[in-house]
Amino acid sequence: MASNAAYLDTRPSRGDRLAYHLRILRVIAVAEFKLKYAGSALGYVWSVLKPLALFTMLYLVFGRVFHLGAISRYYPLSLLIGIVFFNFFADSTMLGMGSIVGRASLVRKMAFPRTIIPMAATLTASMTLCINLTVIAAFVAYNRIVPRVTWLLVLPLMLELYIFSLGIALILATLFVRMRDIGQVWELVLQLFFYASPIIYPVGYLPPWARTISFLSPFTQVLQDLRAVILYRDIPGNRITVATVFHGSAGRLLPLAVTAAVFAGGYLLLKHEEHWFAERA
Amino acid sequence: MNGIAVEARGIGKTFLLPHQQRNTLKEYFLHPFQRTTVERQQALGDVSFEIYEGEFFGIIGPNGSGKSTLLKILAGIYRADTGSVRINGALSPFIELGVGFNPELNARDNVRINATLLGLTRRQLAQRFDDIIEFADLGRFVDQKLKNYSSGMQVRLAYSIAIQVPFDILLLDEVLAVGDQAFQAKCYETFEQMRREGKTIVFVSHDLATVARFSERALLLEGGRTVEIGPADEVVDRYQELVAGVA
Repeated sequence: MASNAAYLDTRPSRGDRLAYHLRILRVIAVAEFKLKYAGSALGYVWSVLKPLALFTMLYLVFGRVFHLGAISRYYPLSLLIGIVFFNFFADSTMLGMGSIVGRASLVRKMAFPRTIIPMAATLTASMTLCINLTVIAAFVAYNRIVPRVTWLLVLPLMLELYIFSLGIALILATLFVRMRDIGQVWELVLQLFFYASPIIYPVGYLPPWARTISFLSPFTQVLQDLRAVILYRDIPGNRITVATVFHGSAGRLLPLAVTAAVFAGGYLLLKHEEHWFAERA
Repeated sequence: MNGIAVEARGIGKTFLLPHQQRNTLKEYFLHPFQRTTVERQQALGDVSFEIYEGEFFGIIGPNGSGKSTLLKILAGIYRADTGSVRINGALSPFIELGVGFNPELNARDNVRINATLLGLTRRQLAQRFDDIIEFADLGRFVDQKLKNYSSGMQVRLAYSIAIQVPFDILLLDEVLAVGDQAFQAKCYETFEQMRREGKTIVFVSHDLATVARFSERALLLEGGRTVEIGPADEVVDRYQELVAGVA
Protein backbone atom coordinates (compact mmCIF):
# COMPACT_ATOMS: atom_id res chain seq x y z
CA MET A 1 0.00 0.00 0.00
CA ALA A 2 1.33 3.40 -0.87
CA SER A 3 1.92 5.66 2.04
CA ASN A 4 1.94 9.39 1.84
CA ALA A 5 3.05 9.83 5.42
CA ALA A 6 6.12 11.88 6.20
CA TYR A 7 8.49 11.43 9.09
CA LEU A 8 11.04 14.11 9.70
CA ASP A 9 13.63 14.13 12.42
CA THR A 10 15.62 17.33 12.22
CA ARG A 11 18.32 16.99 14.84
CA PRO A 12 20.98 14.34 14.23
CA SER A 13 23.31 15.02 11.32
CA ARG A 14 23.94 12.43 8.64
CA GLY A 15 27.39 11.65 10.07
CA ASP A 16 26.11 11.22 13.63
CA ARG A 17 23.41 8.90 12.45
CA LEU A 18 25.84 6.79 10.42
CA ALA A 19 28.18 6.53 13.41
CA TYR A 20 25.23 5.43 15.57
CA HIS A 21 24.22 2.78 13.05
CA LEU A 22 27.76 1.45 12.84
CA ARG A 23 27.88 1.16 16.63
CA ILE A 24 24.63 -0.81 16.62
CA LEU A 25 26.00 -3.06 13.87
CA ARG A 26 29.08 -3.77 15.95
CA VAL A 27 27.35 -4.62 19.22
CA ILE A 28 24.77 -6.84 17.55
CA ALA A 29 27.43 -8.74 15.60
CA VAL A 30 29.63 -9.23 18.68
CA ALA A 31 26.67 -10.25 20.85
CA GLU A 32 25.55 -12.77 18.25
CA PHE A 33 29.04 -14.27 18.09
CA LYS A 34 29.19 -14.61 21.87
CA LEU A 35 25.70 -16.10 21.98
CA LYS A 36 26.58 -18.69 19.39
CA TYR A 37 28.90 -20.39 21.81
CA ALA A 38 27.29 -19.35 25.10
CA GLY A 39 27.00 -22.30 27.43
CA SER A 40 29.18 -24.65 25.35
CA ALA A 41 32.28 -26.04 27.02
CA LEU A 42 34.59 -25.81 24.00
CA GLY A 43 33.25 -22.43 22.84
CA TYR A 44 35.06 -20.96 19.84
CA VAL A 45 36.99 -24.20 19.34
CA TRP A 46 33.83 -25.62 17.78
CA SER A 47 34.08 -23.26 14.84
CA VAL A 48 37.46 -24.87 14.05
CA LEU A 49 36.48 -28.44 14.90
CA LYS A 50 33.40 -28.57 12.68
CA PRO A 51 35.05 -27.77 9.34
CA LEU A 52 38.03 -29.95 10.31
CA ALA A 53 35.76 -32.89 11.00
CA LEU A 54 33.93 -32.40 7.71
CA PHE A 55 37.28 -32.10 5.96
CA THR A 56 38.58 -35.36 7.46
CA MET A 57 35.41 -37.18 6.48
CA LEU A 58 35.33 -35.90 2.91
CA TYR A 59 39.06 -36.39 2.48
CA LEU A 60 38.84 -40.03 3.54
CA VAL A 61 35.87 -40.75 1.30
CA PHE A 62 36.76 -38.77 -1.82
CA GLY A 63 40.50 -38.28 -1.47
CA ARG A 64 41.34 -41.85 -0.49
CA VAL A 65 38.47 -44.16 -1.40
CA PHE A 66 37.72 -42.46 -4.71
CA HIS A 67 41.40 -41.53 -5.28
CA LEU A 68 40.72 -37.87 -6.01
CA GLY A 69 43.75 -37.18 -3.85
CA ALA A 70 45.90 -38.49 -6.68
CA ILE A 71 45.06 -35.46 -8.88
CA SER A 72 47.36 -33.07 -7.13
CA ARG A 73 49.50 -32.93 -4.04
CA TYR A 74 47.44 -29.92 -3.09
CA TYR A 75 44.16 -31.83 -3.09
CA PRO A 76 43.76 -31.79 0.73
CA LEU A 77 44.48 -28.07 0.89
CA SER A 78 42.12 -27.31 -2.01
CA LEU A 79 39.41 -29.32 -0.30
CA LEU A 80 39.94 -27.50 2.99
CA ILE A 81 39.81 -24.07 1.33
CA GLY A 82 36.58 -25.10 -0.40
CA ILE A 83 35.00 -26.30 2.82
CA VAL A 84 35.99 -23.25 4.85
CA PHE A 85 34.67 -20.75 2.32
CA PHE A 86 31.53 -22.74 1.66
CA ASN A 87 30.99 -22.81 5.42
CA PHE A 88 31.22 -19.04 5.45
CA PHE A 89 28.63 -18.77 2.69
CA ALA A 90 26.28 -21.26 4.38
CA ASP A 91 26.77 -19.67 7.79
CA SER A 92 26.15 -16.11 6.73
CA THR A 93 23.07 -16.93 4.66
CA MET A 94 21.51 -19.17 7.32
CA LEU A 95 22.22 -16.73 10.17
CA GLY A 96 21.12 -13.82 8.01
CA MET A 97 17.87 -15.50 7.07
CA GLY A 98 16.63 -15.91 10.63
CA SER A 99 18.12 -12.66 11.89
CA ILE A 100 15.17 -10.29 11.54
CA VAL A 101 12.57 -12.72 12.86
CA GLY A 102 15.00 -13.74 15.62
CA ARG A 103 15.45 -10.14 16.69
CA ALA A 104 11.74 -9.29 16.50
CA SER A 105 11.82 -7.76 19.97
CA LEU A 106 14.38 -5.21 18.79
CA VAL A 107 12.52 -4.54 15.56
CA ARG A 108 9.31 -3.83 17.46
CA LYS A 109 10.91 -1.42 19.90
CA MET A 110 13.58 0.53 18.09
CA ALA A 111 13.76 2.42 14.83
CA PHE A 112 16.98 1.88 12.91
CA PRO A 113 17.66 0.65 9.37
CA ARG A 114 16.75 -3.03 9.31
CA THR A 115 19.64 -3.82 6.94
CA ILE A 116 21.83 -3.65 10.04
CA ILE A 117 20.41 -6.89 11.42
CA PRO A 118 21.25 -9.30 8.56
CA MET A 119 24.49 -7.40 8.09
CA ALA A 120 25.41 -8.12 11.71
CA ALA A 121 24.65 -11.80 11.12
CA THR A 122 27.02 -11.94 8.15
CA LEU A 123 29.69 -10.19 10.21
CA THR A 124 29.26 -12.87 12.86
CA ALA A 125 29.88 -15.46 10.16
CA SER A 126 32.94 -13.47 9.08
CA MET A 127 34.38 -13.75 12.59
CA THR A 128 34.03 -17.53 12.38
CA LEU A 129 35.72 -17.40 8.97
CA CYS A 130 38.65 -15.49 10.46
CA ILE A 131 39.15 -18.25 13.03
CA ASN A 132 38.97 -20.87 10.28
CA LEU A 133 41.56 -19.02 8.22
CA THR A 134 44.12 -19.89 10.88
CA VAL A 135 43.49 -23.57 10.09
CA ILE A 136 44.14 -22.89 6.41
CA ALA A 137 47.27 -20.99 7.40
CA ALA A 138 48.48 -24.03 9.37
CA PHE A 139 47.91 -26.31 6.38
CA VAL A 140 49.66 -23.85 4.08
CA ALA A 141 52.66 -23.75 6.41
CA TYR A 142 52.69 -27.55 6.62
CA ASN A 143 52.83 -27.67 2.81
CA ARG A 144 55.87 -25.37 2.95
CA ILE A 145 54.27 -22.74 0.75
CA VAL A 146 56.23 -19.50 1.12
CA PRO A 147 54.20 -16.30 1.63
CA ARG A 148 53.89 -14.13 -1.47
CA VAL A 149 52.76 -10.59 -2.19
CA THR A 150 50.06 -11.96 -4.48
CA TRP A 151 48.31 -13.31 -1.38
CA LEU A 152 46.95 -9.78 -0.96
CA LEU A 153 44.57 -10.65 -3.77
CA VAL A 154 42.78 -12.86 -1.27
CA LEU A 155 41.27 -9.73 0.30
CA PRO A 156 39.28 -8.43 -2.69
CA LEU A 157 38.18 -12.00 -3.44
CA MET A 158 36.88 -12.39 0.12
CA LEU A 159 35.15 -9.03 -0.16
CA GLU A 160 33.40 -10.19 -3.33
CA LEU A 161 32.23 -13.36 -1.60
CA TYR A 162 31.10 -11.34 1.43
CA ILE A 163 29.00 -8.98 -0.68
CA PHE A 164 27.44 -11.91 -2.56
CA SER A 165 26.60 -13.68 0.73
CA LEU A 166 25.22 -10.48 2.23
CA GLY A 167 22.99 -9.97 -0.80
CA ILE A 168 21.56 -13.47 -0.44
CA ALA A 169 21.17 -12.94 3.32
CA LEU A 170 19.20 -9.71 2.75
CA ILE A 171 16.85 -11.49 0.34
CA LEU A 172 16.34 -14.48 2.63
CA ALA A 173 15.84 -12.36 5.76
CA THR A 174 13.10 -10.38 3.99
CA LEU A 175 11.34 -13.45 2.58
CA PHE A 176 11.58 -15.27 5.91
CA VAL A 177 9.44 -12.60 7.58
CA ARG A 178 6.63 -13.48 5.17
CA MET A 179 7.16 -17.20 4.74
CA ARG A 180 8.92 -19.46 7.19
CA ASP A 181 9.31 -22.35 4.71
CA ILE A 182 12.24 -20.53 3.22
CA GLY A 183 14.27 -22.08 6.02
CA GLN A 184 13.66 -25.64 4.80
CA VAL A 185 14.05 -24.67 1.16
CA TRP A 186 17.33 -22.90 1.73
CA GLU A 187 18.82 -25.85 3.63
CA LEU A 188 18.20 -28.00 0.57
CA VAL A 189 19.52 -25.36 -1.81
CA LEU A 190 22.71 -25.14 0.24
CA GLN A 191 23.30 -28.89 -0.12
CA LEU A 192 22.76 -28.65 -3.84
CA PHE A 193 25.08 -25.65 -3.90
CA PHE A 194 27.76 -27.65 -2.08
CA TYR A 195 27.79 -30.44 -4.65
CA ALA A 196 27.36 -28.12 -7.64
CA SER A 197 30.43 -26.13 -6.65
CA PRO A 198 33.92 -27.54 -7.27
CA ILE A 199 34.64 -28.18 -3.59
CA ILE A 200 35.28 -31.92 -3.48
CA TYR A 201 36.18 -32.35 -7.13
CA PRO A 202 38.14 -30.22 -9.59
CA VAL A 203 35.99 -28.09 -11.85
CA GLY A 204 37.35 -29.92 -14.90
CA TYR A 205 35.43 -33.04 -13.85
CA LEU A 206 32.19 -31.27 -14.74
CA PRO A 207 30.84 -31.71 -18.27
CA PRO A 208 30.77 -28.40 -20.20
CA TRP A 209 27.03 -27.81 -19.71
CA ALA A 210 27.40 -28.21 -15.96
CA ARG A 211 30.40 -25.86 -15.87
CA THR A 212 28.20 -23.17 -17.39
CA ILE A 213 25.74 -23.56 -14.56
CA SER A 214 28.38 -23.79 -11.86
CA PHE A 215 30.14 -20.65 -13.01
CA LEU A 216 26.92 -18.65 -12.86
CA SER A 217 27.50 -18.62 -9.12
CA PRO A 218 30.22 -16.14 -8.17
CA PHE A 219 31.25 -18.60 -5.46
CA THR A 220 32.76 -20.96 -8.04
CA GLN A 221 35.07 -18.38 -9.61
CA VAL A 222 36.01 -16.85 -6.24
CA LEU A 223 36.92 -20.29 -4.92
CA GLN A 224 38.99 -21.13 -8.01
CA ASP A 225 40.82 -17.81 -7.76
CA LEU A 226 41.44 -18.19 -4.03
CA ARG A 227 43.02 -21.59 -4.58
CA ALA A 228 45.14 -20.38 -7.48
CA VAL A 229 46.37 -17.33 -5.57
CA ILE A 230 47.15 -19.22 -2.37
CA LEU A 231 48.65 -22.40 -3.85
CA TYR A 232 50.53 -21.46 -7.01
CA ARG A 233 53.41 -19.12 -7.59
CA ASP A 234 52.79 -19.18 -11.32
CA ILE A 235 49.12 -19.45 -11.98
CA PRO A 236 48.67 -22.20 -14.62
CA GLY A 237 47.68 -20.72 -17.97
CA ASN A 238 45.41 -23.60 -18.92
CA ARG A 239 43.11 -23.27 -15.96
CA ILE A 240 39.36 -23.33 -16.41
CA THR A 241 37.82 -20.00 -15.49
CA VAL A 242 34.56 -18.26 -16.07
CA ALA A 243 36.22 -16.65 -19.12
CA THR A 244 36.99 -19.99 -20.78
CA VAL A 245 33.51 -21.27 -19.98
CA PHE A 246 31.74 -18.21 -21.32
CA HIS A 247 34.17 -17.71 -24.22
CA GLY A 248 35.88 -14.41 -23.92
CA SER A 249 37.56 -12.29 -21.30
CA ALA A 250 34.38 -10.24 -20.82
CA GLY A 251 33.12 -13.40 -19.07
CA ARG A 252 35.48 -12.47 -16.23
CA LEU A 253 33.02 -9.73 -15.35
CA LEU A 254 30.13 -12.15 -14.94
CA PRO A 255 30.79 -13.06 -11.26
CA LEU A 256 31.18 -9.38 -10.40
CA ALA A 257 27.95 -8.53 -12.22
CA VAL A 258 26.04 -11.33 -10.49
CA THR A 259 27.43 -10.25 -7.11
CA ALA A 260 26.46 -6.63 -7.68
CA ALA A 261 22.99 -7.59 -8.93
CA VAL A 262 22.29 -9.93 -6.00
CA PHE A 263 23.43 -7.34 -3.48
CA ALA A 264 21.50 -4.49 -5.09
CA GLY A 265 18.40 -6.69 -5.42
CA GLY A 266 18.59 -7.81 -1.79
CA TYR A 267 19.14 -4.30 -0.52
CA LEU A 268 16.25 -2.85 -2.52
CA LEU A 269 13.93 -5.71 -1.58
CA LEU A 270 14.62 -5.26 2.12
CA LYS A 271 14.29 -1.47 1.89
CA HIS A 272 10.97 -1.93 0.14
CA GLU A 273 9.61 -4.26 2.82
CA GLU A 274 11.23 -2.96 6.01
CA HIS A 275 8.37 -0.64 6.95
CA TRP A 276 6.28 -3.70 7.73
CA PHE A 277 8.81 -5.64 9.76
CA ALA A 278 7.76 -4.12 13.07
CA GLU A 279 4.19 -5.29 12.43
CA ARG A 280 4.95 -8.71 11.00
CA ALA A 281 8.19 -10.11 12.38
CA MET B 1 7.59 31.13 24.25
CA ASN B 2 8.75 27.55 23.82
CA GLY B 3 9.37 25.96 20.43
CA ILE B 4 7.60 22.89 19.22
CA ALA B 5 9.36 19.61 20.05
CA VAL B 6 6.95 17.19 18.41
CA GLU B 7 4.39 18.01 15.79
CA ALA B 8 1.91 15.45 14.53
CA ARG B 9 -0.51 16.30 11.73
CA GLY B 10 -3.40 14.08 10.71
CA ILE B 11 -1.81 10.80 11.76
CA GLY B 12 -3.70 7.74 10.51
CA LYS B 13 -2.76 4.10 10.76
CA THR B 14 -4.65 1.03 9.66
CA PHE B 15 -3.42 -2.48 10.37
CA LEU B 16 -4.18 -5.24 7.91
CA LEU B 17 -4.92 -8.34 9.91
CA PRO B 18 -5.15 -11.50 7.83
CA HIS B 19 -7.81 -13.76 9.32
CA GLN B 20 -5.81 -16.77 8.41
CA GLN B 21 -2.20 -15.98 8.05
CA ARG B 22 -0.26 -17.98 5.50
CA ASN B 23 3.16 -18.51 6.87
CA THR B 24 4.04 -21.76 5.13
CA LEU B 25 4.15 -22.93 1.55
CA LYS B 26 1.84 -25.82 2.35
CA GLU B 27 -0.92 -23.38 3.06
CA TYR B 28 -0.38 -21.81 -0.35
CA PHE B 29 -0.53 -25.22 -2.03
CA LEU B 30 -3.49 -26.57 -0.11
CA HIS B 31 -5.66 -23.54 -0.59
CA PRO B 32 -4.26 -21.80 -3.65
CA PHE B 33 -7.46 -20.01 -4.56
CA GLN B 34 -8.69 -19.24 -1.14
CA ARG B 35 -8.05 -15.58 -0.66
CA THR B 36 -7.00 -14.81 2.84
CA THR B 37 -9.58 -12.44 4.12
CA VAL B 38 -8.03 -9.37 5.53
CA GLU B 39 -9.56 -7.36 8.27
CA ARG B 40 -8.73 -3.69 8.19
CA GLN B 41 -8.44 -2.36 11.64
CA GLN B 42 -8.05 1.33 12.02
CA ALA B 43 -5.76 1.99 14.95
CA LEU B 44 -5.52 5.74 14.50
CA GLY B 45 -7.50 8.22 12.45
CA ASP B 46 -6.58 11.84 11.89
CA VAL B 47 -4.77 12.53 15.15
CA SER B 48 -3.08 15.91 15.36
CA PHE B 49 -1.28 17.67 18.19
CA GLU B 50 1.90 19.48 19.03
CA ILE B 51 4.07 19.11 22.07
CA TYR B 52 6.15 22.06 23.24
CA GLU B 53 9.74 21.96 24.37
CA GLY B 54 10.05 21.29 28.08
CA GLU B 55 6.53 19.95 28.31
CA PHE B 56 5.30 16.80 30.01
CA PHE B 57 2.66 15.36 27.76
CA GLY B 58 0.48 12.42 28.81
CA ILE B 59 -1.40 10.11 26.45
CA ILE B 60 -4.31 8.26 28.05
CA GLY B 61 -7.22 6.16 26.89
CA PRO B 62 -8.71 2.69 27.26
CA ASN B 63 -6.97 -0.47 26.03
CA GLY B 64 -6.82 -0.64 22.25
CA SER B 65 -7.36 3.07 21.81
CA GLY B 66 -4.14 3.46 19.82
CA LYS B 67 -1.83 4.92 22.46
CA SER B 68 1.08 2.58 21.90
CA THR B 69 0.64 2.70 18.13
CA LEU B 70 0.86 6.47 18.30
CA LEU B 71 4.02 6.30 20.39
CA LYS B 72 5.60 3.86 17.94
CA ILE B 73 4.78 6.18 15.06
CA LEU B 74 6.40 9.06 16.94
CA ALA B 75 9.46 6.87 17.51
CA GLY B 76 9.62 5.98 13.80
CA ILE B 77 9.04 2.27 14.39
CA TYR B 78 5.73 2.13 12.54
CA ARG B 79 5.09 4.14 9.45
CA ALA B 80 1.84 6.05 9.46
CA ASP B 81 -0.46 5.67 6.45
CA THR B 82 -1.35 9.33 6.43
CA GLY B 83 -0.17 12.51 8.05
CA SER B 84 3.21 13.79 9.09
CA VAL B 85 5.43 13.73 12.15
CA ARG B 86 8.08 16.31 12.86
CA ILE B 87 10.60 15.76 15.63
CA ASN B 88 12.69 18.67 16.79
CA GLY B 89 15.49 17.51 19.04
CA ALA B 90 17.36 14.36 20.00
CA LEU B 91 14.72 11.72 20.49
CA SER B 92 15.47 8.96 22.95
CA PRO B 93 14.16 5.85 21.21
CA PHE B 94 13.35 4.45 24.59
CA ILE B 95 10.01 2.74 24.54
CA GLU B 96 10.70 0.06 27.06
CA LEU B 97 13.30 -0.71 29.69
CA GLY B 98 16.09 -3.11 28.76
CA VAL B 99 15.79 -3.23 24.97
CA GLY B 100 18.18 -5.81 23.57
CA PHE B 101 18.83 -7.49 26.92
CA ASN B 102 19.83 -11.10 26.48
CA PRO B 103 19.60 -13.55 29.38
CA GLU B 104 22.55 -15.64 28.15
CA LEU B 105 25.03 -12.75 28.32
CA ASN B 106 26.53 -11.17 31.41
CA ALA B 107 25.60 -7.74 32.74
CA ARG B 108 28.70 -6.14 31.24
CA ASP B 109 27.72 -7.23 27.72
CA ASN B 110 24.08 -6.35 28.25
CA VAL B 111 24.95 -2.85 29.42
CA ARG B 112 27.09 -2.43 26.32
CA ILE B 113 24.30 -3.60 24.00
CA ASN B 114 21.48 -1.66 25.62
CA ALA B 115 23.45 1.57 26.06
CA THR B 116 24.67 1.45 22.46
CA LEU B 117 21.15 0.90 21.17
CA LEU B 118 20.01 3.88 23.22
CA GLY B 119 22.69 6.00 21.60
CA LEU B 120 25.74 6.12 23.89
CA THR B 121 29.12 6.21 22.15
CA ARG B 122 31.93 3.92 23.25
CA ARG B 123 33.66 6.74 25.06
CA GLN B 124 30.50 7.84 26.84
CA LEU B 125 29.88 4.28 27.88
CA ALA B 126 33.43 3.84 29.17
CA GLN B 127 33.02 6.98 31.27
CA ARG B 128 29.63 6.06 32.65
CA PHE B 129 29.90 2.31 33.02
CA ASP B 130 30.93 2.45 36.69
CA ASP B 131 28.16 4.96 37.45
CA ILE B 132 25.61 2.66 35.87
CA ILE B 133 26.71 -0.36 37.89
CA GLU B 134 26.97 1.68 41.06
CA PHE B 135 23.54 3.26 40.65
CA ALA B 136 22.03 -0.15 40.00
CA ASP B 137 23.91 -1.41 43.05
CA LEU B 138 25.01 -4.55 41.20
CA GLY B 139 28.81 -4.32 41.45
CA ARG B 140 29.27 -7.88 42.69
CA PHE B 141 27.15 -9.38 39.93
CA VAL B 142 28.58 -7.64 36.93
CA ASP B 143 30.04 -10.80 35.40
CA GLN B 144 26.97 -12.91 36.09
CA LYS B 145 24.66 -13.92 33.29
CA LEU B 146 21.50 -11.88 33.19
CA LYS B 147 19.32 -14.97 33.53
CA ASN B 148 20.57 -15.33 37.09
CA TYR B 149 19.27 -11.87 37.95
CA SER B 150 15.92 -11.37 39.60
CA SER B 151 13.48 -9.34 37.55
CA GLY B 152 13.89 -6.50 40.04
CA MET B 153 17.65 -6.46 39.49
CA GLN B 154 17.15 -6.44 35.72
CA VAL B 155 14.81 -3.46 35.95
CA ARG B 156 17.28 -1.62 38.18
CA LEU B 157 20.06 -2.24 35.68
CA ALA B 158 17.93 -1.17 32.71
CA TYR B 159 16.81 1.98 34.50
CA SER B 160 20.35 2.91 35.48
CA ILE B 161 21.40 2.72 31.85
CA ALA B 162 18.38 4.64 30.60
CA ILE B 163 19.04 7.69 32.78
CA GLN B 164 22.61 7.94 31.43
CA VAL B 165 21.42 8.49 27.88
CA PRO B 166 21.40 12.10 26.72
CA PHE B 167 18.16 13.21 25.09
CA ASP B 168 15.84 16.15 24.50
CA ILE B 169 12.65 14.22 23.94
CA LEU B 170 11.80 11.02 25.75
CA LEU B 171 9.05 8.59 24.79
CA LEU B 172 7.86 6.35 27.62
CA ASP B 173 5.38 3.51 27.43
CA GLU B 174 4.02 2.34 30.76
CA VAL B 175 7.44 2.30 32.34
CA LEU B 176 6.00 3.02 35.74
CA ALA B 177 4.01 -0.19 35.71
CA VAL B 178 7.12 -2.11 36.65
CA GLY B 179 9.12 -2.00 39.83
CA ASP B 180 8.30 -1.68 43.49
CA GLN B 181 7.46 1.41 45.55
CA ALA B 182 11.10 2.35 46.03
CA PHE B 183 11.75 2.10 42.31
CA GLN B 184 8.72 4.21 41.46
CA ALA B 185 9.83 6.84 43.94
CA LYS B 186 13.19 6.87 42.17
CA CYS B 187 11.40 7.32 38.84
CA TYR B 188 9.44 10.30 40.14
CA GLU B 189 12.63 11.84 41.44
CA THR B 190 14.23 11.47 38.01
CA PHE B 191 11.11 12.98 36.43
CA GLU B 192 11.44 16.07 38.57
CA GLN B 193 15.06 16.40 37.62
CA MET B 194 14.26 16.04 33.92
CA ARG B 195 11.65 18.75 34.30
CA ARG B 196 14.20 21.08 35.84
CA GLU B 197 16.54 20.36 32.93
CA GLY B 198 13.81 21.37 30.47
CA LYS B 199 13.39 17.95 28.82
CA THR B 200 10.33 17.06 26.83
CA ILE B 201 8.59 13.88 27.93
CA VAL B 202 5.78 12.07 26.19
CA PHE B 203 4.33 9.24 28.20
CA VAL B 204 1.60 6.73 27.81
CA SER B 205 0.07 5.56 31.06
CA HIS B 206 -2.97 4.05 32.66
CA ASP B 207 -2.00 5.62 35.94
CA LEU B 208 -4.22 8.69 35.85
CA ALA B 209 -2.91 10.08 39.12
CA THR B 210 0.62 10.15 37.73
CA VAL B 211 -0.54 11.76 34.52
CA ALA B 212 -2.43 14.45 36.43
CA ARG B 213 0.51 14.99 38.75
CA PHE B 214 3.30 15.30 36.20
CA SER B 215 1.96 16.40 32.87
CA GLU B 216 0.97 19.88 31.84
CA ARG B 217 -1.23 18.68 29.03
CA ALA B 218 -2.67 15.37 27.98
CA LEU B 219 -4.33 13.70 25.03
CA LEU B 220 -7.30 11.38 25.45
CA LEU B 221 -7.71 8.78 22.72
CA GLU B 222 -10.62 6.47 22.17
CA GLY B 223 -10.93 4.13 19.20
CA GLY B 224 -8.00 5.82 17.53
CA ARG B 225 -9.56 9.28 17.60
CA THR B 226 -8.84 12.33 19.67
CA VAL B 227 -11.51 12.82 22.33
CA GLU B 228 -9.88 15.70 24.10
CA ILE B 229 -6.59 17.47 24.28
CA GLY B 230 -5.76 20.11 26.86
CA PRO B 231 -4.70 20.69 30.48
CA ALA B 232 -3.94 17.33 32.07
CA ASP B 233 -6.40 17.50 34.98
CA GLU B 234 -9.31 18.39 32.67
CA VAL B 235 -8.46 15.57 30.27
CA VAL B 236 -8.16 13.10 33.16
CA ASP B 237 -11.58 14.23 34.44
CA ARG B 238 -13.03 13.76 31.00
CA TYR B 239 -11.59 10.24 30.84
CA GLN B 240 -13.13 9.39 34.19
CA GLU B 241 -16.50 10.66 32.99
CA LEU B 242 -16.10 8.56 29.87
CA VAL B 243 -15.35 5.43 31.87
CA ALA B 244 -18.22 6.14 34.26
CA GLY B 245 -20.55 6.68 31.31
CA VAL B 246 -19.69 3.31 29.86
CA ALA B 247 -20.06 1.46 33.16
